[in-house]
Amino acid sequence: MKALLLAALLLAAPARGEDVLYLYNWNNYISDDTVQRFETSCKCRLKQDYYSDNEEMLAKLEAGAAGYDLIVPTGNAVESLIRRQALRPLDKTLLPHLPNIKREYLDPWYDPGNRYSVPYATTVTLLGFNVTRLAELGLPTDSWALIFEPEYLAKLKGRVTVLNSQRELMAAAMRYLGHSVHTRDPAQWDEAKRLILRAKPYWATFSNSTYIKDLAIGTIWVAHGYSSDMYRAQQDARQAKRPFAIGFTTPKEGAVLAVDNFVLHKSGRRPDLAHRFIDFMLDGANAADISNLIGAGNPNAAATPYIAPEIAGNPAIFPSPAQMQRLEMLRDLDPATRRSLSRMWTEIKVR
Amino acid sequence: MTKRGLRGDLTRWLVSLPPTVFLLVFFLAPTLIMVTASFQNPGEFGGLAPLFAEGQARLTLETYRFFFGDWIYAEIFLRSFLVAGATTLICLIFAYPLALTIAASPKRHRDLLVLLVILPFASNFLIRVYAWIILLGPAGLLYTPIAVIAGMVYVHLPFMILPLYTNLEKHDPTLLEAAQDLGAGAWTRFWRVTWPLSLPGIWSGTALVFIPVLGMFAIPELLGGTGDILIGNLIKEQFLESRDWPLGSTLSLLLTLAVLALAALSAWAASPRRQRS
Repeated sequence: MKALLLAALLLAAPARGEDVLYLYNWNNYISDDTVQRFETSCKCRLKQDYYSDNEEMLAKLEAGAAGYDLIVPTGNAVESLIRRQALRPLDKTLLPHLPNIKREYLDPWYDPGNRYSVPYATTVTLLGFNVTRLAELGLPTDSWALIFEPEYLAKLKGRVTVLNSQRELMAAAMRYLGHSVHTRDPAQWDEAKRLILRAKPYWATFSNSTYIKDLAIGTIWVAHGYSSDMYRAQQDARQAKRPFAIGFTTPKEGAVLAVDNFVLHKSGRRPDLAHRFIDFMLDGANAADISNLIGAGNPNAAATPYIAPEIAGNPAIFPSPAQMQRLEMLRDLDPATRRSLSRMWTEIKVR
Repeated sequence: MTKRGLRGDLTRWLVSLPPTVFLLVFFLAPTLIMVTASFQNPGEFGGLAPLFAEGQARLTLETYRFFFGDWIYAEIFLRSFLVAGATTLICLIFAYPLALTIAASPKRHRDLLVLLVILPFASNFLIRVYAWIILLGPAGLLYTPIAVIAGMVYVHLPFMILPLYTNLEKHDPTLLEAAQDLGAGAWTRFWRVTWPLSLPGIWSGTALVFIPVLGMFAIPELLGGTGDILIGNLIKEQFLESRDWPLGSTLSLLLTLAVLALAALSAWAASPRRQRS
């Protein structure tokens, strides 16, 4: 709705006057401080609209939201947008800082040769947990078994939340069963469904955001969620001086890696400012901002010296090369598969 | 027809024009779009596949076939109607004595009491639901069906109180006095006089609570457990996570039809002709 309003405003207002760059971004995904520094350096204004997941962003663009110069989609959404021909190719002569990006994040499957996208931040979908409680219970914390195996769950009944996301929960189940998150084999899907249904009675709820608070106050002991959210829960618990600590690790079976990227939307009017912004954010000191702000992983090699050591040294945020081998990125599904997955998800919820 | 009458007609027409246009643009048109969407194919990236391709209309019954293919969606419909029914009943039980008390209190206090009923609306809906998370958490009731019903009742209670109060306030007190003179006890006075007279208030309160509860998705999502999924959640999921607009439209349409059928049924049940017979 906000996006549509913005589009209407854009159509109404003539392009002259103040230089404004429109960014359609995740909530809390750039610090005010960085925004101010960019505005000073470019003598322009940065206006942001926010979304809380890729599907929401894609759905709103599909519904006609327009006027955004820059968007920050995850890899699979970048691929969709490219196939949709919704993106403007990058002019790399305007991005002298591009070589700052680590080699392993360049030339990704979703955008060969980085024609359209520049990686900005990474997140791993993993397990966050109450270190103190789990040590008392003597439970392992390095495996998806913690949220799928009744033998462990029996001690955790009502203390576990999993993501309210078809794709993420299925991916976790697939990794635990030793399959790829991309599998289309109906037998493997069915196996994952049965695994989830067997574990469901022990879970408290499906949660996409409340688990941060639940972990931090100690009512939930294990949560399936995003590394940046776990970092926040950890900080919250520490600041509130709770008698326990929050930890998070990437399960040994592997997990989902999300890489968020800057891309130029075709409906944007200021590709010049958009390139300036991307190059500004590629500078090490500016790139480090997102890691220090929310504990996101960083694809920018020049950022490392500026990132707090506690964050830069956390393997759950910055995976080791060996761990990277076991991380997979989600890919978009075709409509028929989306519908059958949704059908399966409904069944999981109802049973 | 006199000149005056003509002008009166014109005025009446002009006055009714804006609401008519409003309904056409913001109710009828979206409903028609929804009906069409429910017969279209889903688009590859979300949205809808083109309605016309190669000179042919691309319409399909596939989504309806999918919906009626098994019981799972019907089960969620049934479940949502049960939750909405329970919420409405509990709201009625809580609201009736309260509305009676307000209607019976001295006139100078009534406005203040009504204001207190609407006061919670001054804070944001989500914040009030989050307050329930804090209340229910320590009680061990968070993430249970009870939490969902509690949240639903809390949010919708004013919508039951207000129409009931508006109705009860208008009751003529002399009717009760007459009943008393004729020897009716307190219970009989309530059951034979107040209750039948308040039925219109009950019906409008019921409609104002029942229908919004059917479409609610935020409360089950925030307060509910692993099994608390209602139609609202299902529809929202089709438009966002699954990006399956045809299925979302079909679900919305069938929900609208079910509500209309229910409204027609209750109107028929409440019609004066039937009550007399």
